[in-house]
Amino acid sequence: MLAIINARLHPVSSSPVRGALLLDGGSIREIGDIRVPGDVPVIDARDRIVTPGIIEAHCHAGLSEEGIGWEGNDGNERSDPMTPHVRAIDGANPEDKAFGFFREAGITSSQLTPGSANIIGGEQLVAKSKETLFIDEMVVLRPSGMKAALGENPKRVYGPKKSPATRMGNAAVMRKWLSKALAYSKKKESGSDPDFDMILEALLPVVHGDIPLRIHCHRADDILTAIRLAEEFSLDFSLEHVTQGHLLADTLAEKAIPCAAGPSMVHEAKVEMRGNGFEGVATMHRAGVRICLTNDHPVVHGRNLPAAAGMLQAAGLSSDDALGTITLAAARHMGLGDRLGSLEVGKDADVVIWSGDPLDARSFADVTIIDGEVVHRRGDDA
Amino acid sequence: MRAYRGARFYPVDSAPIDEGVMLVEDGKIVGIGRDIEVPANAEVIDLAGKVVIPGLVDAHSHVGMWGDGEGDASRDGNERPGPITAEVDAIDSVNPHHVSFQSCREGGVTSVMIHPGSGNAVGGLCFAAKTRGEVVDDMVLKAPTGLKGALGENPKRGGEGKDSPKTRMGTAALIRDFFARAEEYGRKKERGKDPDPDLALENGLRVLRGEIPFRVHAHRSDDIATAVRLCEELGIAFNVEHCTDGYMIAPFLAEKNVVAHVGPGLSSRGKVEVANRDERNAALLAEAGVKVCLVTDHPFLDVRYFMAYGGVAQKHGLSFSDTLRALTLSPAESIGVEDRVGSLAPGKDADFLVLAGEPFSYKSPVLSTYIEGVEVYSRIDRRGG
Repeated sequence: MLAIINARLHPVSSSPVRGALLLDGGSIREIGDIRVPGDVPVIDARDRIVTPGIIEAHCHAGLSEEGIGWEGNDGNERSDPMTPHVRAIDGANPEDKAFGFFREAGITSSQLTPGSANIIGGEQLVAKSKETLFIDEMVVLRPSGMKAALGENPKRVYGPKKSPATRMGNAAVMRKWLSKALAYSKKKESGSDPDFDMILEALLPVVHGDIPLRIHCHRADDILTAIRLAEEFSLDFSLEHVTQGHLLADTLAEKAIPCAAGPSMVHEAKVEMRGNGFEGVATMHRAGVRICLTNDHPVVHGRNLPAAAGMLQAAGLSSDDALGTITLAAARHMGLGDRLGSLEVGKDADVVIWSGDPLDARSFADVTIIDGEVVHRRGDDA
Repeated sequence: MRAYRGARFYPVDSAPIDEGVMLVEDGKIVGIGRDIEVPANAEVIDLAGKVVIPGLVDAHSHVGMWGDGEGDASRDGNERPGPITAEVDAIDSVNPHHVSFQSCREGGVTSVMIHPGSGNAVGGLCFAAKTRGEVVDDMVLKAPTGLKGALGENPKRGGEGKDSPKTRMGTAALIRDFFARAEEYGRKKERGKDPDPDLALENGLRVLRGEIPFRVHAHRSDDIATAVRLCEELGIAFNVEHCTDGYMIAPFLAEKNVVAHVGPGLSSRGKVEVANRDERNAALLAEAGVKVCLVTDHPFLDVRYFMAYGGVAQKHGLSFSDTLRALTLSPAESIGVEDRVGSLAPGKDADFLVLAGEPFSYKSPVLSTYIEGVEVYSRIDRRGG
């Protein structure tokens, strides 16, 4: 057990409150105005702000390793535009420096995802930023989704001599394979025993709606193509990046589609990113879109995600709402809203004590706790 | 004349002024202080509760020439092929109507030095501009302001097939050869031998004659040391761009009086040569006595978030006043335009920002950006009231 006392608790799921937090067996046991048993080790928050661990819901840590070059680039299996059978767990290196920086910055969970070179790029997972050589020990949820991509990236990687070479080619490749997976599924159900096909096997949970297809889309028309395809196949799905989503905010809100917005701190590196910025994300939030914020680490380093949420607050969100986009909304986006993202009894004991306002670029994570274990301390807490 | 009154002013080159007054006329600052008399005919702008700092100066930027949502059509930063393209001039690649200039005004950046990219060992001329205007020539603050050079991974990556450079020593040899030829070219001209005109060597001569510095892209500590070695050998003025490993050899750089343009901020370690990137770099360099300028390297850090980079540098140990200086007066000095911009002082251009509060917090957004006394960005206007 571990207790954090004298805290200004920001649970995210409820209003800020002063009090204590009791952690037990990797989860939160009690919160608020509670009595801490005498024999429990205590961290005195000394009136600092305490929040749930920060979550980077769209991340390439471990797959695009820091400072290594091509040898450390394992995010895109560029051999074919259809690679649903590859798995992030087989590419993500727990030794990537990023995870250490995440612990220092209060980033306790991240969804590790293949890149966007392929129409369907592979299986995703959610990991805790634990220090270990075994990726399996970091896994919270696997698979957490299947990565897909529309827009510029796939057609740039494969065109013009191979399909997809156009946006309509992008959609056709996806439609073709989802159709094949449905036919394969029917054959299996009817007992006609089709030949084993690893690609189609990997697509079964997608066409059955068991895991979400997470579709990379920036431009407004790509966002609408993603929705068209997903609805055609009745998929569980989310939209990733959604750079021009502010142009479609009412539609996205009405359909209640989970959206991971960002990286908003980079400029319009590509044509499909025109209009990128925090103002657009704020517009979506105001319209009621189910939005979480991501830095798309390493495009913008995940350690700066709280600072990015600060920019979102500057664009008009309340501080609680801005914090929510990198905690509870991010947890829900990953399908883990019941386990992560807020300080609530029964949830995972992923907690951060901050030196100041968590969303101020000048603040530090003084203490980071994952599953009830302290994984980072600085300053007087060291 | 206008009188901006009531704010806290950070002039940068002098002490902060609470509830001060700044007088602006014809685009210039004509007075600043606490007890300044406001002429009867002056229009008074009440800035009580606000904070005023000089317009930010970004000494390493690619605004107007790169990205900007136009894809390949506007990728005009690296002239290829060929590792030596000293003849090109960044001014010929810059489109004032790119959205990045609006981003500058929004982020409070009023002056920029625009560089060619780092794909070539010698990449071309840099120049400095204000971030407002319709025709780039009207925006020029100073031109040229340097010749771009590059060491490390980028130039050797750029070579096609068997072209040099293929190694770091190859890049250094190309730069040596280039300046040796420029020197010879200059000698021939002096002796009236009338060599065929060579634009690249002409620009090399400008560096050798001390008219402009060589501005050398170098991340890794050995690349930085190579920059120092080459430039000392050639006897040319220079500074180091990026200087990512600078903190590892900070006393050496201080002894050599190297100016470090540190950035882009908030980024990660995409290349091997930035594997040792450390957020404390700016603070440790400053502590050792190195002059530090923070830079965006836009589009690598969106220039709109330059101030947040200042916050991160401050967080990791750069003092408040050093941080403010690293975003204003130090880059102005490094570019050679400190007589015009970089601080709030009589005689200087009226380039300044009105902030909602103390700099470097997300709670203190830029409310207004002024260039030469003209409001070029207003947060309220942009957000529709």
